[in-house]
Amino acid sequence: MNGIFEVNYAAFSVFAALLITEIMGAVGLLIAWPSRSKVLDYIVPVWEVTGTFGALWVVTGDFAYPALLVPVSSIFTPLLIVFLILWVARGASISFAEFITKRRWLDEEGLFKSYAASTIVLGLVVLVLLSALVGGQGVDLTTGSFSIISWATAGSVVFIIGALLVTVGLAPVFFDLSALRNLAIPLTGLGVVLSVLSYLLMSPGLLTPWMAAPVLLTLAVGALYTWRRTSRIVTNKAAFLAVLSVIIFSLQPLVYPKAVGQVLSIDAVTTTGTMADAFFSITVVGGLLLALMLSLYIVVATRGPNGPDL
Amino acid sequence: MSVDPVSMLSFVRFLFAFTIGSHILLVSTSIALILLISITEFLAIRKHDPVYDALGRKLSKVFVISFGVGTASGIVMAVELVGLFPSFMTLVASTGAMALLYAEVSAFFVEVLALVLYVYYWNSFRGRYSHWAVSLFILIGTLASAVFITMVNAWMNTPTGFDASAFISSGFKTVTGVEPFAAFLTASTAAQVFHVLVTTLFAGTMVIGAYFAYWFVRSGDAGEKAMYSRALKILGAMAIVTIVLSGISGSEEMGNLLVNQPLKYAALDGNAVPGTNLPDRFFGSVVNGTYVGGFSVPGMQTLLAKFETGVTILPGLSQFPANTWPPLFINTTFNIMTVGGLALGLFLLVFFISFVRKRRPYESRRLLYIWVPAAILAMLVYQLGWATDEMGRQPWIVYNVMTVAQAANTSGALLIPGIVIVLFYMAVIPTTFYFYSRIFQGSKKEAPG
Repeated sequence: MNGIFEVNYAAFSVFAALLITEIMGAVGLLIAWPSRSKVLDYIVPVWEVTGTFGALWVVTGDFAYPALLVPVSSIFTPLLIVFLILWVARGASISFAEFITKRRWLDEEGLFKSYAASTIVLGLVVLVLLSALVGGQGVDLTTGSFSIISWATAGSVVFIIGALLVTVGLAPVFFDLSALRNLAIPLTGLGVVLSVLSYLLMSPGLLTPWMAAPVLLTLAVGALYTWRRTSRIVTNKAAFLAVLSVIIFSLQPLVYPKAVGQVLSIDAVTTTGTMADAFFSITVVGGLLLALMLSLYIVVATRGPNGPDL
Repeated sequence: MSVDPVSMLSFVRFLFAFTIGSHILLVSTSIALILLISITEFLAIRKHDPVYDALGRKLSKVFVISFGVGTASGIVMAVELVGLFPSFMTLVASTGAMALLYAEVSAFFVEVLALVLYVYYWNSFRGRYSHWAVSLFILIGTLASAVFITMVNAWMNTPTGFDASAFISSGFKTVTGVEPFAAFLTASTAAQVFHVLVTTLFAGTMVIGAYFAYWFVRSGDAGEKAMYSRALKILGAMAIVTIVLSGISGSEEMGNLLVNQPLKYAALDGNAVPGTNLPDRFFGSVVNGTYVGGFSVPGMQTLLAKFETGVTILPGLSQFPANTWPPLFINTTFNIMTVGGLALGLFLLVFFISFVRKRRPYESRRLLYIWVPAAILAMLVYQLGWATDEMGRQPWIVYNVMTVAQAANTSGALLIPGIVIVLFYMAVIPTTFYFYSRIFQGSKKEAPG
């Protein structure tokens, strides 16, 4: 077991879970603006936390794999630039949207939709990046380059479609859209099947028995929502986020012990010695601070009458 | 794309300077803003004043934008650093400088979670003082983030916590002898952190004050004027305290340079040769080993140096190889900082005297008219401070270890993305400040009073 990898991957799991729920909400904002309040109640306080977990993932990654810092950034330069522009556009538009008053063409709806579009495209960019890190398609480690044409294989495309279907299938669960209750299992199930197929297409070695855990957990979430008695468990936002984080965390065999098409050994590039000790020390202190702040958050947020003041 | 590496090196320098210069505008206003918000809410509770209360609520909304855009911009810079200076970032990632960045993210969590509670759960607190206490968490998180980032810069100025000689002799390939936590307290950390914090607060305070000064003079509405006047009262006090601390910390910082970066010190003070009883020189230049032009105050440099550090023999450029000298025009940028800082100090002295004499300087049209250009000067001085610090370390990116040329990526492939980033910032920064104003002037949800 590589403790440093686990910490970095845990940070990624929480970030990805938060980003996925934002994407679910973003789709809702674009296609069902009149019923936005359910989505905004969640997204408006949370988007800043998503960004912070994103920063945590990036910084722990830099710390964990110093030798990969330069190769990864040079391989993915074009994707990273698109990511950064979308990242600023997303942050700027939602923070402007929260408090704006209408003036001519610029209003709350336009800005929230701009946020939603940026977040969805950002999600797609992240999926392209992840599929390349998992399957290695389009990545040339010797020349340090990435080709989107070489990336566009059946495995990569099915990976993205599968992930999107799971996201769309779980969206009614997260936002408790009972009218779409019956779609949860079919869409999630199809998404899971396509995701598994994509791993097979990318590299059959990715499919280990351990992968049964995320598959079963994902299907269980959809199934629990189908029955009214059990739906309350999974529509609790904190519980859903926790389960989603666990699902993503359990997908780690896709990149560990080897990533980028099972070529790159993670253990071989992980920091060691005194830097590893420092990594764990700061993780403990930072983790305690995070736990303290989250406890405070839970105490205050559960006390509020109707969620956040918007 | 084929571009001359020398031109690309200049472009890379420009690109990062432009990005960080833009980012600093957001950071300085953010830091001053959260202190202002905290003081405003405290006064609202203490004085049961609905105007302070409304002011605090409006400002907290502005802070959300400042935070949202500022953090996104910070992430852009972090990624940009890897792309522009890969060898430097590899060194950072292998030493305690990385531990500082990780610690910064922890501070960031305190800031963001406290901010979410403070802004979005305002009415969920049982007592107003508990809500106000959360603003202190945001303040601590914000300041700690700034402190950790400044510590990284201090480490670049006085690197420690690894075997520099072995690293250089390995051709920048192997980092050994790593003591990660040594980077938290280098020889220059304390002085630099102190100076950066107070000057950042000062510059941000002046800029926010300029906004209120402008609107106070322009507005004809008594209610609005009451709000602007209260903001200016607090900001005036913050500016007076921070300008005094800026002077003290600036003096400390010069003492730190004298001891730890004598070449930078010599270039800043225009010392062509070492000596005793040296004057403070202004607005001239070093030509052929002699300082020419400008004017000087005899003996002043030695007097200050002796006061700051006890050192009486001051360093000169001639003691160092010419190829390690920084650009000598930093003497001029340093002079602008010094004279600009003194002018700002004088302005705030008048403000202070007027305050002591109960003349309500925060409502004096004459002083408020001056505040606006003074804020521009304050931001110029602040930006020049950073520029002087960074140019003063040239040609090094990590002092005496790695030069900027050795650290930089001079691939022509960076040109187009670099131009895109510049254009992007040119749009984002003015838009952000425009939205600050829009949101402050017309928040959808006004204070209950």
